[in-house]
Amino acid sequence: MEIEELQAAWLQMSTELKKQKKLTDDIILSMTKEKYQNKFKKISTYETIGAIVCFSLALLVLIKFHSLDTWYLQICGLLTLIFLIVLPVLVLKTLNKMKMIDISKGSYKENLSQFIKTKNSLLKLQKLAIGISFFGLSFIVPVTSKIISNKDVFLISLKIEQYIAMGIAMAFVYFVSRLGYIGYKKVTNSAEELIKDLE
Amino acid sequence: MSKETVFTDLIREHQALLYKVTSVYTDNNLDQEDLFQEVVYQLWKYFDSFRQDSKITTWMYRVAMNTAIAHLKKKKRRPNVLPIAEVLIKQIDLIDEVYEERLHLLYKYLHHLNTLDKGLIFLLLEGKSYNEIALITGLQVSNVGTRISRIKKKLRTNMTKN
Repeated sequence: MEIEELQAAWLQMSTELKKQKKLTDDIILSMTKEKYQNKFKKISTYETIGAIVCFSLALLVLIKFHSLDTWYLQICGLLTLIFLIVLPVLVLKTLNKMKMIDISKGSYKENLSQFIKTKNSLLKLQKLAIGISFFGLSFIVPVTSKIISNKDVFLISLKIEQYIAMGIAMAFVYFVSRLGYIGYKKVTNSAEELIKDLE
Repeated sequence: MSKETVFTDLIREHQALLYKVTSVYTDNNLDQEDLFQEVVYQLWKYFDSFRQDSKITTWMYRVAMNTAIAHLKKKKRRPNVLPIAEVLIKQIDLIDEVYEERLHLLYKYLHHLNTLDKGLIFLLLEGKSYNEIALITGLQVSNVGTRISRIKKKLRTNMTKN
C-alpha cells in the first residue's frame, strides 16, 4: 500500500464524516458545563491527598520529636521529616507547572515540549521517591517505633523469626521498588528522546 | 446571536474535524469520547480569547491538538472498548471492505508514530499546506518539510514490512 492510498482513505473518511451531524446543541452545551474529572484533576487530587497525609505525619513527628532521645534517633527523625515534607512539595510544584500550560496560546511544539519536560520531572521525582522509600525504611521504622511504642529498635534484640520477617519485607520492598524504577526509567528515556527531537 | 449559539454552531459545523483529531490521539471509543468532551470544554473555556487574526479552524486545530497532548495516557486493557478504526467504521456505516482495511492500516501506522510526528502527519492528511502546519505546530516551514519527508520514509518502510 502507498501513502497516496492512505491519503485517499482519509479523504473518503473526511467526506463521510462531514455528512454526519450527530451533535445537538444540548449535547454540545452539556460538554461545556459538565464538570468532569480530567486526567490532571485526578492526579492532582491523589497527590494532594498524599501530600496532606505526609504533612500530617510530619507534624506528628515534629510534635513528638522530643521523645527521640538519642542522637541517632534524632538524625532518623530529621531524615523522616525531610522525606515527608520535601518530596510532596516538589511533586505538587511540578503538577502545578503542568497545570499552568496554556493550551490556547502556545503552539503544538511549545506545549508538547513543556508538557513532556514537566512530565519527565514528575516521573524522575517518582523514581527518586521509589529509591528513597527503600532506604527510607532504615530511618522511618526506628522513628515510628519510638514514637508509637517508645521502643528503640537499635537496642532491641530480635528473635530469629523477626529477622526472617524483616528480611522478607526488605526483599519485597526491593523487588517492588526495582520494578517501579525500571518502569519509570523506560518512560523517562522515551520522553527524553522526544525532547531531544523537539530541540 | 448569543455566545452559546455561535459556539454550538461552530462545533456542529466542525464536528468532523474534532472527531478526526480525537481519533488520531486515542485508540478506543471510551478514550475518544473522553478526549472529545475535553476538547469541546477547552474550546468553550478559551472561546473568548480567540482573536480574529487567524482562521477559526487554525485555532480549533491548535486547541484540540494541545488538549490531546495533555490527554495522552498509558494503554490500559479495559473490557468493552472498541478499537478506534472500528469506531469510525461504525460512525460512517461503512460497507466497502477495501476501504475498511485501509482505514485499519492507516490508524495502525498513525498510532506507531510519536506525538510530534502524529500531529504533523495528521495535518498533512487534512490537506494543510506546510505554511499552515508551521502556523499550528510552531515549527519552521523548512523544518516541517524535512520532518514530513522523514515520516513518509518511516511509513513507507513500515508498509513494506507489512
